[in-house]
Amino acid sequence: MFQFILRRMLWTIPVIFVVSALTFVLMHSVPGSPFTRERALPAAIQKNLEAKYHLNDPLWKQYGDYMWGFIRLDFGPSIAYRARTVNEILAQQWPVTMTLGAVAFVFAACLGIPLGILSAVKQNTLIDHSSMVVAMLGVSIPSIALGPFLIWIFALKLKWLPVATWGTPAHIVLPALTLSTFYLSRFARITRASMLQVTREEYIVTARAKGVRESVVNLKHAFRNALIPVTTIAGPAFADILTGSLVVEQIFGIPGIGKYYVTSIANRDYPVIMATTLIFALLIIFMNLLVDISYALLDPRIRYN
Amino acid sequence: MARRKAQSGERTSDKPRSLGRDAMHRLLKNRAAVAGGAILLVIVLAAVFADFVAPYSITEGKIRDNYAGPSASHPLGCDFMGRDMLSRLIYGARISLAAGLIGALTAFVIGVTFGLIAGFFGGKTDNIMMRFVDIMYSFPTLLLIILLMVFFKSSFSISGVAEGGFRGALSNIDRAMGGMFFIFLGIGLTSWLGMARLVRGMVLSVRGKEYVEAARAVGTPRSKILLRHVLPNVLGPAIVAQALQIPGFILYEAFLSFIGLGVNPPTPSWGMMLSEGYVAMRSHFHLVLWPALAISITLFAFNFLGDGVRDAFDPRQTRR
Repeated sequence: MFQFILRRMLWTIPVIFVVSALTFVLMHSVPGSPFTRERALPAAIQKNLEAKYHLNDPLWKQYGDYMWGFIRLDFGPSIAYRARTVNEILAQQWPVTMTLGAVAFVFAACLGIPLGILSAVKQNTLIDHSSMVVAMLGVSIPSIALGPFLIWIFALKLKWLPVATWGTPAHIVLPALTLSTFYLSRFARITRASMLQVTREEYIVTARAKGVRESVVNLKHAFRNALIPVTTIAGPAFADILTGSLVVEQIFGIPGIGKYYVTSIANRDYPVIMATTLIFALLIIFMNLLVDISYALLDPRIRYN
Repeated sequence: MARRKAQSGERTSDKPRSLGRDAMHRLLKNRAAVAGGAILLVIVLAAVFADFVAPYSITEGKIRDNYAGPSASHPLGCDFMGRDMLSRLIYGARISLAAGLIGALTAFVIGVTFGLIAGFFGGKTDNIMMRFVDIMYSFPTLLLIILLMVFFKSSFSISGVAEGGFRGALSNIDRAMGGMFFIFLGIGLTSWLGMARLVRGMVLSVRGKEYVEAARAVGTPRSKILLRHVLPNVLGPAIVAQALQIPGFILYEAFLSFIGLGVNPPTPSWGMMLSEGYVAMRSHFHLVLWPALAISITLFAFNFLGDGVRDAFDPRQTRR
């Protein structure tokens, strides 16, 4: 197990290398520079600015310098916001995105999985059919359609919750719901399917034959084994929820990293683009590692070596 | 519901049925899937015959119709430029379906080729190619698409106005398609990884089959084994798997157009209509309502049909 974790951590190195190199090359191949404005800057000033941010160095050197800084957790200065470093910007925006993402993920898992269990236990009843139709709706309505609907109902008509922006816990509810609905429904559907499959296994029949109580059979024998396919999508779910906040932050005007990312690309704010992409990638790798570890914990038959 | 119709629908002849026909039979018995398919058919027809179905121009509106609500002449109202919503929705179906289908096709071609080569040649080639796929899996797809779209849009669409050669040609194609071309490319270039893994896995299992060994034994050239024996056996499941991904591709287009990196205005994409209407949502909700419904219904239909297709091809997993 320890060896497995170590190997996976070493694997991060080539991944980060490729992701960073690809991002670096792509963003530098986009025409325009951070100093392209409606009114061109005087040539001398532009030259000085470029010198200050080392934009005249050969690309490989810029890349090397950036990565050397990245390893030491120094993400460099922001080019678009001269007075701030990327570290300061990230420290301000990441917590927002992470909070939103975490709340959405908890919504999805804590509502979706029980819904799936309930549907499976009450298979082919009204409860099952109606929750599966709701889950089907949930995977079909995209956030850009759901967000406006929720705002219209809960903020504009009922006036229960704020329309947009960020600040109090009440501000989190609508964007987190918007962000979580897709995976809430996927969790419900997969949990149900997986529960139904496990229920046909012989050890479930045995448990019932032994006279184990139905609730214990469902939760202890069936659910624990049914959870494995569910964890498989937990990693991608977290990644998708985080990157999905890119769009949801636009809808709700939330000052998180996703909204900032799109602006940074428009501004050609190279250090911000690099840092954001790399942190996203690192988080995804980390979540996938967590998923793999939780497999082993859930299913002692799975061994890594 | 399947059980009830089983007797009446069953064919009585002893002729063996092919897997495909068998699956089709199961699919037709699934009411939800049939309903999804029917809705989809209507949307496809509307998209194909948009020029005849759409009552108004999608680019020109009357100023006095700005934000007009539903009326006899404009059943779904008009947008912020007085353009007929219904007509724009109908043309929007064309954009969404094209993004879904052509995006899926691009990713399919790249993924199948990649997986076929990796699986068939095996060894070091396979190792290097699949490690590359593993690495790319950790790249957040949406971020990569955004980067690619910015790259395409500003290198080809905006600055490459009067350029000749390859760049000019690409930029002209994209402009002629209202900004669609780069969406296809962006989706295709980022979404082939899963397909490559799937195809490689299937190639590995087919490669060990006796008929491939027999073909090799009689001296069939490798290229012919690959195209005549391996490819056809891989293609079917790959097509089904890719068809199930289409809603995802439709979503990418809508997301990109929503954040302003998709189609160029005035091309009416549902994602773009949502972002345009969103600004005026407080007072004119119908600007958001119709495109939101359109995309949700389309995805709903796709998902129902997709579920049915998957169940039909894999009856062991039937959940109804």
